[in-house]
Amino acid sequence: MNYNFNWMVLWDYRELLIQGLIITLKLSITSIILSTVIGIILGILRLAKNLAVRLVASAYVEFFLNTPLIIQLFFWYFALPMIFPEPVQMWLWEHNYEFISAVIGLTIYTSTFIAEAVRAGIQSIDKGQQEAALASGLSDFQTMWYVILPQAIRVVIPPICNQFLNLTKNSSLAMTIAVPELTHQAQAIEALTFRGFEAFTAATLIYIALTITISLLMSRIERWSAKGQQIVTA
Amino acid sequence: MKKKQRVVVFTLTLALILGLGAVTLAQSTLDKVKSKGVLVAGVKYDAPPFGFVDETGAVVGFDIDVAKYIADKLGVKLSLVQVTSKSRIPMLQDGTVDMLVATMTHSKARDETIDFSITYFFTGQKLLVKENSGIQSVADLAGKTVATIQGSTSEINIRRAQPAAKILVFQEYPQAFLALQQGRAQAMTTDASILAGFAGLYPGYAIVGPNIAPEPYGIGIRENDSAWRDAINLAIMDMWESGQYHKAYEKWFGVNSKYPLPLAGEIEVWP
Repeated sequence: MNYNFNWMVLWDYRELLIQGLIITLKLSITSIILSTVIGIILGILRLAKNLAVRLVASAYVEFFLNTPLIIQLFFWYFALPMIFPEPVQMWLWEHNYEFISAVIGLTIYTSTFIAEAVRAGIQSIDKGQQEAALASGLSDFQTMWYVILPQAIRVVIPPICNQFLNLTKNSSLAMTIAVPELTHQAQAIEALTFRGFEAFTAATLIYIALTITISLLMSRIERWSAKGQQIVTA
Repeated sequence: MKKKQRVVVFTLTLALILGLGAVTLAQSTLDKVKSKGVLVAGVKYDAPPFGFVDETGAVVGFDIDVAKYIADKLGVKLSLVQVTSKSRIPMLQDGTVDMLVATMTHSKARDETIDFSITYFFTGQKLLVKENSGIQSVADLAGKTVATIQGSTSEINIRRAQPAAKILVFQEYPQAFLALQQGRAQAMTTDASILAGFAGLYPGYAIVGPNIAPEPYGIGIRENDSAWRDAINLAIMDMWESGQYHKAYEKWFGVNSKYPLPLAGEIEVWP
């Protein structure tokens, strides 16, 4: 083998890796929180009684579900500012619009997958639950909030956890709109030192550490949500 | 087959494969190219007028003309592969391409990992700004935003030349130019020759400033392949002496072309 490994470059350039990791964390955590909130709302709207609401929510979900994330990122970063007047554009660019548009792109993209998971989760709850709740005098909102959702959450956590992992990995695409996150910095190290193998091994290990952390957190949450559930035998 | 016979056959086959492998690895790229009859050149597809896709969908440009001349001189066919500033050196090192004719500056840092031919193009790093922007040089960039490309010498140089500027690093030239067009960045920096490509296509932009750094382009080849390097150097010198270089230069950078850029140097020709 002709390749001379030089792992010291990772120590020399640790600043770049750390800065990249911080941005990836900021990007992922912000987008995870936002996309979960939006995803749950969308999932419920997809099952609304009102036809208009249902159609709009469905159209939104289908559109963003079926477009590649990188195209969506380019759209938010390059195309969207053009509709705004100059002063608004200037303001956006003063305020780190690269990061903002990456968050928008990741959030909207992932929220559609979460919406689908939530919808499937809600539909998996026995209709009897909803009928009993309504018959007991609870309103639609109360039924959803106190009866259906708590049960649906348990079903929905594994697919949502998957989406969080996808989001964390997809955050690497933000480098195409000049966000200096982890992958971008790994490439920078490669460009400066030509040690591509070492740089990308470091990035891989860091991403794996992130995704394992998320998975562990989600399984904790899953166990917590199962508390108080009892198997009732007749 | 009995077990012992199988072991012997297996070992012999392995030795044969490794032996052949060793032979091919030790072979110079020159021999490999001549025996295959194809020269695989890595070129840019997004850097007019060096390498770009024209209206008919063909890949054309000054770099392509140089690569074609070298292939013709060696008597082989030319095959083009797209590279970017980021991917070019890895693609050369792993053997995907035999040579890189991709607006690559010959730098000391790069020379530690790959080898270069003699300089075949002379330019320098400058700034591209909107006309009437008031920016004349790097000094005017303090507090402003500059767009550049990841993996290029320009990124390192501009950080050093103007630490007070905000640097936006994109993956490809068209995106960096789009940022400049939209006002996201007040300047774009890379080699003047590549900037000329954008200034030529879009009116309203000017290339300003003295050279932030010289950018002598060399053809990239793998380390320790003297026979191959000699062949390429001789072909380049031949292109200059025969007048073909000037013809190609006139075609892409002449006064009547879309991207006028005066010839900024001469190819070293050995007697």
